[in-house]
Amino acid sequence: MQLPASVHSPPPTSSRLLHRVRQYWWGYVFVSPWILLYLVFGLYPLVLSFFLTFFNYSFVTPGDRTFVGLGNWIRGIEDPLFWKSLYNIILNQAVFILLKNGLGLLLAALLFRVTIGARIFRTIYFLPVITSTVVLMTVGDNLAGPGGAVQLWLMDIGVLSKPVFWKAYDTLPMIIIAIINTWKWFGISTVILLAGMYGIDPRLFEAAAVDGASGLQIFRNITIPMLRPQLFFLLVVDVINGLQMFGEILSIGFNVYGGIKNQALTPVLYLYAQAFDQANVGYASTLGLMLAVIIAVLTFLQFKFVPSRLD
Amino acid sequence: MQTHKRISLSLLLTYAILIAGAIVVVYPFAYMVANSLKTGREIMHAPRALLPEEPTLRGYKGVFEELNVLLLFRNTLIVAVAVTLENVLLSALAGYAFAKIPFPGRDKIFGFMLLTMMIPGVLFLIPTYVLMYNIGWVGRFEALIIPGAVSVFNIFLVRQFITGIPDELIEAARIDGARETTIFRRIILPLVRPALGTVAILTFMGSWNDFMGPLLYLNRPDRWTLQLGLLQFRGTVPGENAEQIWALTTLITLPILLMYFFIQEQFVKAFANVSLSK
Repeated sequence: MQLPASVHSPPPTSSRLLHRVRQYWWGYVFVSPWILLYLVFGLYPLVLSFFLTFFNYSFVTPGDRTFVGLGNWIRGIEDPLFWKSLYNIILNQAVFILLKNGLGLLLAALLFRVTIGARIFRTIYFLPVITSTVVLMTVGDNLAGPGGAVQLWLMDIGVLSKPVFWKAYDTLPMIIIAIINTWKWFGISTVILLAGMYGIDPRLFEAAAVDGASGLQIFRNITIPMLRPQLFFLLVVDVINGLQMFGEILSIGFNVYGGIKNQALTPVLYLYAQAFDQANVGYASTLGLMLAVIIAVLTFLQFKFVPSRLD
Repeated sequence: MQTHKRISLSLLLTYAILIAGAIVVVYPFAYMVANSLKTGREIMHAPRALLPEEPTLRGYKGVFEELNVLLLFRNTLIVAVAVTLENVLLSALAGYAFAKIPFPGRDKIFGFMLLTMMIPGVLFLIPTYVLMYNIGWVGRFEALIIPGAVSVFNIFLVRQFITGIPDELIEAARIDGARETTIFRRIILPLVRPALGTVAILTFMGSWNDFMGPLLYLNRPDRWTLQLGLLQFRGTVPGENAEQIWALTTLITLPILLMYFFIQEQFVKAFANVSLSK
C-alpha cells in the first residue's frame, strides 16, 4: 500500500542538515580531541589486538612475524597457567566482593542511624580509597607478613602459634590480598549504599515501625530490596574491575608469575608476563581477548539474572 | 523508660563498631608515619610501637640523598599536572558541546562514547603498547600525557553539570551573535567551575597514584614516577632500605591526604556520582 509522501514526517533535507552543521560546527571542534584520541588510542589498538592474535610476534624481532591462525586461541584454551590464573582471581574476587560489600552495607546501615559524627566516620572510611595501591600494598605486606603487627597480635592472643609465611601457600595469598583490598575499597561501598539509604522514602520505615517490625526485619524487607540498584551497580563494577587485577600482586612483592607455584598469578599478570618476560605478544593479546570475553559473558549474565531494579 | 534504655544501648553499640572501624582504617596510616620516624633497627624489632623510641629523620634524608626522590617527584608532577590541565580544558569543551550545542550526530556520538566505557581496559594493554613501541614513545612522558588527555568519564561528569544550566542564557547570547567560543569563555566556564574542580582532583589523584601506566611506559630510572620508584626501591630482601621505604610511602601519601582533607566533601561526592550516573 502506497501512502502519500506527505504522511511521513518530512525528512531533514540535505540543505537543512547542512545549515545546522554550518550553524553548530563548533560542536564538532569541541568534541574532536576526544574523537581523534579515541581513533588512535582506542579503536586502532582494538583492531590491532584482533590482528595480533593470529600471529607469533615479539618486540625484539618484529621482522619474523609468523601467521599461526587460531594457534594462540588453542594454546590459551589448553594453557593450564591461564586457567590457574582464572581460578585464582575468581577465588580472590568471591572473597573480596562478599567482604567489601558486606562490610560496606553494615557500616552504611550503622552510619544511617547516627546523626552526630556520621560525616567524620565517612571521611575516615574513605582514606584508603584515595591512597595508592602501591603504598597500601607495601603497608599491607608489612602488617600481614611474618613478624608484622597483625601476626604479632594474633600470636599474642593465641590464634597463631608461630609466624605464617602465607605468600608460599597455595590459596592463602589470594585470600589475604582480598582482605587487604577489602580494607582499601569498602569505603566506596559504604558511601554509595549510604547515599542509597538516604534516597529511600522515610515513610516506608515509619510505616513498618508502626506495624511493629523489628529493626532487623525492616533492614531485610525494606532497606535491602530498596538498595537493589546500588548493590547491582557495585557487583557489576566489582566484577569488571576485579577480574582485571594486576598492580596489587606486583606491589605486594610477587614476581610477574605470581610466585613459584603461581599461587598469586592473575590473568592480567599472566598476559603481562607473556608479553614482557617471554616476548609472546600475539599470545598475550589473545589472553587479553579471552579475559575480555569472560568479563563480557559474566556482565551479561548479571544483567540477565541478578535483580537490579526495584519491584 | 525501658525502650529508652534499649535504644541508647544499641546506639552505644553502633558507635562502638563505627569507632572500631575507624581505628582499623587509621592504624596502618599511623603505623606508616611512625615507622618513617624510626631507625632501621627499631623498625625490625618494634614495628608496632606508634611512638618511636629515638625519633630520627634519617629515612627522609636517605630518600633525598640516596634515592634521588626529587627526580621522581618531578617526573610524577610533569605527568600529573599535564594530564590534569588537559582534562580540565578538554572535558569542559566537549562537555559543553554534548550538553548545549545541537550539532547533527551529537547524540549518536555521545551514545557511542558511553558505550566505550564498557570495554574492559585489558583489551587495550598489549596493542597500545605495540603502538607506543612503534611510534617510539616507550620511555617518554608523551605515552601517558597524550592518550590520557581526556577521559570519557570526565566529559560525562562535566556534561551532566552543564545540562543543568538554563538554555535561555545560551540562546540569548547566540541571538546576540556571540560565537560559541565566546559563550564558552564568558558563560560556561565561570558556571562550571565546581565540576571542573572535581575533574581536576580526580584526574590529579588518578595520575599521582597510577602504577600500571608508568610501569609500562616510564620503566627506566630517569623516568620513574613515585609509585614505580617505591616498588623498585623495595628490593627483594625483607628489611632492605626499611627507613627509606617508610619515609617514601609517607611522602607519596601526604600530598593526596592533604588535598583530601581540604576538599573531602567534593572527593566523596565525586565518587558517589560515579555510581549514580552510570
